[in-house]
Amino acid sequence: MGDIMQPAIQFEDVVKIYPLKSGDVMALNHISFEVQRGEFISIMGPSGSGKSTLLTLMGCLDKPTSGSISMSGVPIRDMSDIELTSLRRDRIGFIFQYFNLFPLLNVIENVSFPQMLKSGVNEARAREVLRAVQLDEKLYTHTPMELSGGQQQRVAVARALINDPDILLCDEPTGNLDSKTGASIMELMTELNKNGATIIVVTHDTTVANYTNRTIRIVDGCIAS
Amino acid sequence: MIFWEIAKRNLRIHMLRSTLAMLGIVIGVVAIASMGILGNSMVATVSESLSSVGDSVIVSPYSGGGGMGPGGGGGGGSSANLKLSDQQFQQIKRAVAPNVAIPVLSTSERMKVGVGSDDIVATIYGVDSQYIPDLNLKLTAGDYNNGNSGCLVGSTFAKDNNIKVGSRISIGSDGEKGTLRVTGIIEERGMAFDLSTDSAIVATQDWFDNTYNRNDYDQVIVKVKEGQDTAVVKTTIEKQMNKRDKIVSVTDSKATLASIYATFGTITTFVSAIGGISMVVAGVSIFNIMMMSVSERIKEIGIMRSIGTQKKEVMSMFIYEAAIIGVIGSVVGGILSILAGYAISALMLGTTKYLITTANALSVGEGVCFGIVICLACGIYPAWQAANLNPIDALRHE
Repeated sequence: MGDIMQPAIQFEDVVKIYPLKSGDVMALNHISFEVQRGEFISIMGPSGSGKSTLLTLMGCLDKPTSGSISMSGVPIRDMSDIELTSLRRDRIGFIFQYFNLFPLLNVIENVSFPQMLKSGVNEARAREVLRAVQLDEKLYTHTPMELSGGQQQRVAVARALINDPDILLCDEPTGNLDSKTGASIMELMTELNKNGATIIVVTHDTTVANYTNRTIRIVDGCIAS
Repeated sequence: MIFWEIAKRNLRIHMLRSTLAMLGIVIGVVAIASMGILGNSMVATVSESLSSVGDSVIVSPYSGGGGMGPGGGGGGGSSANLKLSDQQFQQIKRAVAPNVAIPVLSTSERMKVGVGSDDIVATIYGVDSQYIPDLNLKLTAGDYNNGNSGCLVGSTFAKDNNIKVGSRISIGSDGEKGTLRVTGIIEERGMAFDLSTDSAIVATQDWFDNTYNRNDYDQVIVKVKEGQDTAVVKTTIEKQMNKRDKIVSVTDSKATLASIYATFGTITTFVSAIGGISMVVAGVSIFNIMMMSVSERIKEIGIMRSIGTQKKEVMSMFIYEAAIIGVIGSVVGGILSILAGYAISALMLGTTKYLITTANALSVGEGVCFGIVICLACGIYPAWQAANLNPIDALRHE
């Protein structure tokens, strides 16, 4: 599915309006941009500028009010919920600010979860990605509650990588970590990008943005630069 | 089967809540199944005492309206005066042949057992000795009547009055109607359509005729041979005897039995339905717990959906939880209902010999299945709601 010669993500004249009782809110106002494969991009902007809306649209969690979004050249507008869910599972990796691991599952099970949805358990693959994010092997059978914030975020990165996605979408990945741990996570992202991963980081932290190759600034639903 | 694993772990982590939910189902299943067992055992107990007379057709004088009286006499009169003449008996006998027609006389009489004892009142039947084997009167002691003044007594009558084989019973307030010698004690028969012998005396027809100067009968019992239909025999008698006016009432014991069984079936269903109310309450509790489980895990559902979990997979996770509660609760309830059925049968019916029957196994099976179905039904809506949460809203949920 999709053409590897096409941009990983393509937004064309995208508008997103949230209809509210108090009046419609235009979260994104005719936005167009492309993310090429292998890029490491940060999206910055003040609160309420439309960053989160942009992330949910890139993550195929929502559809635009108008305009077109394509993933590797494939428009998502006419995709069913099942197709969009499969797209998220197979081609997009999510990393959240609050790690969002499953408290009932241990590290290996958390990392394997998206893989189990796709093709069943392959513990060797889970161990491979956990080694890639440099998590101590002794922690593999621990539950998230038994890990530090940095360790939990490494597990979350491993979970995002397990299905070998085209794009990693990161929502304030260091927002809940101390500066040292945050730096180590961003170094990990940089390493992953060097190995070919396409990474998009939504942040308002310029330190984080400095790790990326390009920054898209959003103000009032429009791309400022 | 990661969703099965998550469902199990979620129930385990909320052990108290899960156990209480299961307890509700256990109570519901026990209520339904044990009531079913009790009903089935009641039917079996009654059946045992009735089925031995399930091949009888009872003919008695018609007591309603203004039909012909016994012996061709006119007028209605009170039922106490209504009798069947020998001519009518012969007509019945010919109509039902080759089935056996047994003429029976009966009266209620004062009597004394032993010197100086108080008067007692009991029913005396008069039956020709030749028909005793056809009536299937089994004896626990003694033998069938030998001679004119011998009699058989029912087991309850014998027990209550300390009567043994060889005891003498003076008939009448002052023994003016002679004495009967007990030659045998009839085994307990319970409720019967033909002769209720447990608290009665069965004397010979000759003694009865001589003592009471009778030449008519109170009823005729037709013992229908195996392979013949009691309903057909009943119709034959009615056609023969009630051609112009209704002279006799004919009771088909099999039809009456069927009616009794149907009534017991209705009672069992009704009682089980009352037990079902507790199951509905348990179902509401399961529904509530499942809704709580969904509302506590909205964020988790949002994460699952965002990383590629399909709606049906989210739904399956909650259905598994309901199924685990349902299966464990229902199976435990099924086992306990057997114990409860045992206790209730022992206390209310005085016997547990009807516990292991197909009907009881079905009652337990129905209770268990009902418990599982209720749990699944009560889990469907919460599961559907979880599956259809907006992933974005769910992710933002705190």
